[in-house]
Amino acid sequence: MGSISAKVKSLFTEIKTHWNTPAEGKYVPYKEYKDVVLAVGSNYAGSKVLEYIGFFSSCYLIMHHYKLPYLTFSVINILNMPLGYISALIWWFVCDNLGFLPKKTERKLYLVYFLMIVFGVSTILFDYSRLFDQTSAFIRYLNGLEGMNATACFKTFGTHFLYTGWVGARNIFWRKKLLPKFGRYKYSLYCDVVPKCIMVILIGWLPVYNIPDVATRVWVANLLFATYNVFGFANNLETCTRSISPNLQERILVRSYPVKISHFFNTIVGIILPAIIGMLRYEWADINVYRYVIPGAFIVLAAMTMIFAGRVKERIPQPPVEKKVQIKFWDGMFGVLHNKYLLINTIKDLIDSLGNGMLPFVTILYFYTFRLSGLPYSLIVMLISFAGTPPDLLSPYFLKRFSYKQIMIFYQLTRAIGNGLIAAAMWFCGDNLTLCGTICVVVLFFMEMTKTVPTTAGHDMNVRIGDYQMYLSGERLESFAGVFGWFTGPITSFVGLIIPLLLLKYGFNSNWDVLFVDDSRRNIIVIPIIVDVIGFLLMTIPYLFWDYDSKKQNMVMEVLKRRAEVTEKKAAEEGETVSGGYVG
Amino acid sequence: MSKKEKKIIVEEPIHLDIPEEEIWTYQVEGLAAPHINKPYKHYGLKKVIFALVIIVAVSISMYFSVRTVQKDTFEYEQSQSGFTLSKFSNTGYITELDIDYVSSVEYDTDNTDVNTNFTIKKDETKKVTSVGAYALNCDEKVKVINIGSDVEFIDPKAFYSCWALQQIEVDENNPNYCDVDGVLFNKDKTVIICRPCDHDTYLAEKYGHAKYDENGARIEPTAEDANYEQYVNDVLTYVVPSSVETIGELCFNYANMKNVYLPEGLKKIETLGFFEIPLLENVYSYKGDTADAHFAGEDALGEIYLSLPEGLEYIGSDAFSYNQAMNYIYIPESVTFIGHHALWDTVYKDGDTLCGITQINVALSEENFEKVETGDSWRPQYDYMLFKKSVDIVYNSERAEK
Repeated sequence: MGSISAKVKSLFTEIKTHWNTPAEGKYVPYKEYKDVVLAVGSNYAGSKVLEYIGFFSSCYLIMHHYKLPYLTFSVINILNMPLGYISALIWWFVCDNLGFLPKKTERKLYLVYFLMIVFGVSTILFDYSRLFDQTSAFIRYLNGLEGMNATACFKTFGTHFLYTGWVGARNIFWRKKLLPKFGRYKYSLYCDVVPKCIMVILIGWLPVYNIPDVATRVWVANLLFATYNVFGFANNLETCTRSISPNLQERILVRSYPVKISHFFNTIVGIILPAIIGMLRYEWADINVYRYVIPGAFIVLAAMTMIFAGRVKERIPQPPVEKKVQIKFWDGMFGVLHNKYLLINTIKDLIDSLGNGMLPFVTILYFYTFRLSGLPYSLIVMLISFAGTPPDLLSPYFLKRFSYKQIMIFYQLTRAIGNGLIAAAMWFCGDNLTLCGTICVVVLFFMEMTKTVPTTAGHDMNVRIGDYQMYLSGERLESFAGVFGWFTGPITSFVGLIIPLLLLKYGFNSNWDVLFVDDSRRNIIVIPIIVDVIGFLLMTIPYLFWDYDSKKQNMVMEVLKRRAEVTEKKAAEEGETVSGGYVG
Repeated sequence: MSKKEKKIIVEEPIHLDIPEEEIWTYQVEGLAAPHINKPYKHYGLKKVIFALVIIVAVSISMYFSVRTVQKDTFEYEQSQSGFTLSKFSNTGYITELDIDYVSSVEYDTDNTDVNTNFTIKKDETKKVTSVGAYALNCDEKVKVINIGSDVEFIDPKAFYSCWALQQIEVDENNPNYCDVDGVLFNKDKTVIICRPCDHDTYLAEKYGHAKYDENGARIEPTAEDANYEQYVNDVLTYVVPSSVETIGELCFNYANMKNVYLPEGLKKIETLGFFEIPLLENVYSYKGDTADAHFAGEDALGEIYLSLPEGLEYIGSDAFSYNQAMNYIYIPESVTFIGHHALWDTVYKDGDTLCGITQINVALSEENFEKVETGDSWRPQYDYMLFKKSVDIVYNSERAEK
């Protein structure tokens, strides 16, 4: 007992002493821990609130109000795929050079983006499908696509041009303007937060879902959501904490305690929001959810995020941004292709695509099997999500005790077993709601418990991959890392059609009420889960080749620190002021 | 050292003494060497291979993806007795559909009007004998379906959520099915199978109540309109013919209907039989004999009483779900099965007032009602102290007067 109180006292003294200045060998004062809790908490909860809105089939707004055919989302992905390659190419080039481009290149890119915007706007204003013979095989094919017609296809295609041009031009402009001041992870919050709030309000109030013709509804909704997606509000501040300290242990400490504690914000919001929604007459199906509840919650959290964002610092060991290594396009490409650990991740993601197009079966379980809403829904969601918190607080222990390879293999196996049990419960005792529900909730609880440590490990593995890339190429090349997606994208987009087509066969289209039909619901949930289970089992294989241990990581960090020291020293010798560099 | 302690990985502090000129080239043991601002070997060749691989991969993927999402307008499966229509994917312009022979769409290249530039060709050597589940799913264009004389089986879920469907017409020579004014029945009219989602538009046209706005959307009359009562009788009221013993699965789902009259001989209401009918206020039962589904006054129906008919035995799951306009339910003593969520979401709170089905009136005593097989959450639930509470059951109840 005495030793516990002595430990508490010593912890208190430690926090008090280093409230404003960090201890020797550390970089983050405890005051910043408090700021991390508030900043990440509101940013994370705000980004989670936005998960209720999106142009995807499982969004309740889309499923209940827009009633768009399920396969249409796959059709739109295919339409957007070719242009996605070209736009990604420019995007990475800009991002991995942090927006600092030679003047001539910058002007050329602005021109390209401007032309894309002009073309995109023209497709919205004019119907290019009329330029083609209406009886041609091409037009007939487009007219026959699920939920689309030729006009909608051209407008959807043009919307992607508009979106790409708009986002691209903003990316160069705001990166250059804001990145030196706010750092590479936070700057986008400053330019996006106000338009994002406006778009969140518009999405609830614009009655696009009342358009009677489905094809018109599809392209107008696609345009509306593309505009909404131009402005981001991701979990940037948590990403920022990945670079909060060059000290590995301190980084894990920040991510294990203040960051995890900050997630309680989201737990609270996750209880309050469904409880409020449950009080509305039509509950989740009530349009007022999107007119008042979601915008209200988001605007409050966004405001809090912006108040605390400036207090979380980036301390990534890197040369100052003005002195950074310039990445040539092909060097960036080949640089990431030489990263063995990115390749391992890619193969894992490729296998993971077997589950693409799957419906959110937990949500279906809650809404369609158990008909949960209001506080009971909040409580069960909270109970399950809370299951991950205690093991998460022990993350530093588990990460020391087990290798990342062991943790990730364990994770995939527990997913396979858990999902397998849920599929069996739904198949064999789906009619008995009490028994089936109890089995599912218990399994979900254990799956959540065994998820959080691997998630932390996964984040840290990604940070380490970035560190290793920086060691290899002189820059993290986070965007260029998407080049692996170029190779896997064609495969995943095709494989991702398997489940939607299966679901269509079992009756799932634009009307989610089909999930009230017991035998259809069983097929719609269980068959994709079985496909997913196979994926989880196969995903253990790539991790067998992971050999990047802490010793290697520490040596890489030593190299990076040395590079930063030398570059800063040289810059100082040349009498240049630098910003955003390594804060040692 | 214990076994447990041994397993904890102890990280030794590492210090590397890297000369300034080697900071960009220093290779960590066990890892690849850095490659910064140096040309790659066979740079040109690698670029070409890279580009080729991407182009080929994207092309192959696009080709197969495009092929996969392309649906034939009509898809059939062959069976012993003939062909099953397994999937109909509208071209976007087909409003009337015949289900009799294997069909395909042919286009007239001289006609540029997309609404009329096609014809549906039928292969009369291939008869369609059945229609599979979800053959038409969420179609928004088809208004009329004509069932041929050789169709032997239609899955109850065959025409799921066909929002524009007004009529299902059956060939009079069909020995298995028939229709009564555009509503699908089995031949002897003991089972009512499907009342199309937009049947009210057909009735509104038929009885001269249909009005449209400038966009072609039908204007729903309101209680203030002069002919509203007649409109309710002609369009929003449905009389289930007295021969009917079973209301089929999904039969009346999403109907635009205010009153329904059920015959006293009715035995079963299948799963989702009256699912989500927001306007449905009154369920009546009648004792008389009628084959006419049109409501021509209560005199034609004999004795009429409120709610479910005497003799009803089976109420399927979700049978009356989401019908918040209903405000009275009486479960006769003949009922032996009530499926899960049979009356789900038929009660709600308007401020502090409880609306909808606020209690369930049961003919049986509590002791006898315990013998009735009931599914989970068959009673509606309302918000109560932040949780949900099921409405009360009133046992030994007398049926309310109409």
